[in-house]
Amino acid sequence: MLEIRNLHATVDGREILKGIDLVIHPGETHAIMGPNGSGKSTLANVIAGREGYEVTEGEVLFDGKNLLEMAPEVRACEGLFLAFQYPVEIPGVANLYFLKAAVNAVRKYRGEPSVDAMDFWDLVQERMELVKMDESMLKRSVNEGFSGGEKKRNEVFQMAVLQPRFAVMDETDSGLDIDALRVVADGVNALRGPERGFLVITHYQRLLDYIVPDHVHVLFNGRIVRSGGKELALELEEQGYALYNEEPGRARRAAA
Amino acid sequence: MSSVAPVVQNPFRQQFAAFTADRREPDAIARLRREGLDRFASLGWPTRQQEAWRLADLGALAQIDLQRPADALVDAGILPTLDLPAHRLTFVNGRFAPGLSRLRELPGQALIASLGQALLTHPERIEPHLERLPGLSQHPFAALNTAFWEDGAFVYLPRTTVAETPLHLIFHATGDDIAVYPRLLLVLEDGAQATVVVEYRGKGRYLNAPVAELQLGAGAVLHYHQVQEEASQAFHLGGVRVRQGRDSQANLHLVSFGGQLARTDLDALLDGEGASCVLNGLILAHDRQMGDYHVRVEHAQPHGSSEQLFKSVLDGQARSVFDGMIHVRPHAQKTDARQSNRNLLLSKQARANANPRLEILADDVKCGHGSTTGFLNPDALFYLRARGIPAEQARTLLVHAFANDSLNRIQLTPLRERLASSLADRLALGNIEEQ
Repeated sequence: MLEIRNLHATVDGREILKGIDLVIHPGETHAIMGPNGSGKSTLANVIAGREGYEVTEGEVLFDGKNLLEMAPEVRACEGLFLAFQYPVEIPGVANLYFLKAAVNAVRKYRGEPSVDAMDFWDLVQERMELVKMDESMLKRSVNEGFSGGEKKRNEVFQMAVLQPRFAVMDETDSGLDIDALRVVADGVNALRGPERGFLVITHYQRLLDYIVPDHVHVLFNGRIVRSGGKELALELEEQGYALYNEEPGRARRAAA
Repeated sequence: MSSVAPVVQNPFRQQFAAFTADRREPDAIARLRREGLDRFASLGWPTRQQEAWRLADLGALAQIDLQRPADALVDAGILPTLDLPAHRLTFVNGRFAPGLSRLRELPGQALIASLGQALLTHPERIEPHLERLPGLSQHPFAALNTAFWEDGAFVYLPRTTVAETPLHLIFHATGDDIAVYPRLLLVLEDGAQATVVVEYRGKGRYLNAPVAELQLGAGAVLHYHQVQEEASQAFHLGGVRVRQGRDSQANLHLVSFGGQLARTDLDALLDGEGASCVLNGLILAHDRQMGDYHVRVEHAQPHGSSEQLFKSVLDGQARSVFDGMIHVRPHAQKTDARQSNRNLLLSKQARANANPRLEILADDVKCGHGSTTGFLNPDALFYLRARGIPAEQARTLLVHAFANDSLNRIQLTPLRERLASSLADRLALGNIEEQ
């Protein structure tokens, strides 16, 4: 469902992604691991369409459509979701209002009528349960004054309500204690299914104990240097990224 | 190099002679008018060399040969409503329009009437109050108003009278380069309470220079809303004087959406112990509009509190000015005075000017002020878009979030909702069609 071919991207003229190839099929969960500065978040932001990232080569197809030509909101309406590494605080916009606006934007894009108020409320109640979110968070402004854990839970909650077909989780585990991590992982796992794909970006192997991926890729210096099964994550946990850092030659051999 | 200053004829003197020729009113009032005219003559037409008018471009207004208004009829359908029972007084071109007004039953000795009519029936209630408040002494247009006001509203609530029904005052001007000088005189005696909504509107090009005088006795409570939605070519140069007695509460909401140049000067004097004043101002301006608040809050007695929040949302080449002074007299210990000015720029050509000032002559007070100006947060914009919300809608949502901080302080629900929807329309259109 997501095909990334030879993706090159620059930020402020500096090349960060140097030829990424990645294919994710429906029902698959892929993990991308890598050290700081390897390009993980750049990849997430390029997929979601954030300004300031210039794609200089290559393409990204979403169900065969050229994703890179779409505005961020169109990508979202097509069924793409980005769980932000740093969810943004939006004072003055209530969480529930925001969520309803998002749901209705997607429905409008699909040519469907606005969501029925009662149906929406039922869905919200059910999904709140999933991420063990307190009802009071709905009335508060989006992410304003939320703790780190609450922000990440709110991301998963939004995802659960919007029910995208493909989700990119950008370091959703960073800054979470183990309990919050479990809640977030349970939320993601509950949404996994044969029609839905996930790209889980993380620095740490820990998250992958809870969200067990089908495939693991190592991103280093703007390239995927190694791909494997879930056991690759464990190997990285033991050996660290130093392997790639110190001996790029060996890393290339390992990737081959 | 020396030059001889041209002798500037005060064009208003001639008009004044014609204006007063056929007026029959008490000598005291006629004297006030002459004093107003003399004050205007000594202040002169504002120039940009004067600090208080440095940022106001009155050139376009000075070019206009301002006319005395003719009687006009307007269709009731174009007037705003509050969607709740209200005492309604409508003024067209500064003159009372009984057919567009509706007065409901009033408690006891309370009086709500056209100022012109009340001056005939109850001069003894008006003379002690009209033009008696300090403030606006340097405001030339307030002086012109005192010289030329024809009508307006008179609200008199005796001791402990609570007007449950809001008072809705509509001032509509019909253009054709007229100058109108509406007047509001509101007297709340000790313990009286009122809710007032003043709406300034019109079509075409005109000058509206209203003056409102608000007197609050001890323990009086006023909720005052001034909604300026003048026509896009109009000039609005208004003044508000407030004097508060002991433990009185003034909640003053000022909304400025219309006009090519719209300025309100407000002087509030907290003249009794424990008086509290909340000032909530919002400007929305686009194209080449300019919105301006000049505010002076003077704490004269101890234990007073004042809170000012002034915000502006500026698009296109719009400009805003916030000039806010907090003055605390030596005697006014334990004053708690706050002032905040926040400006949101929606275009790179928009400009907000902030001039917050403190003069604190007492040594045991809490005073604070702050001012920020910035663009929409691009991260917030992307966050909304990444959830499927189109860029324009996301912008609108963020602007609303900014403005709602002001609008949400308005407790009168139908008015708050109408303003929110007017805000949305204006943001969506970029400019609003005239009625």
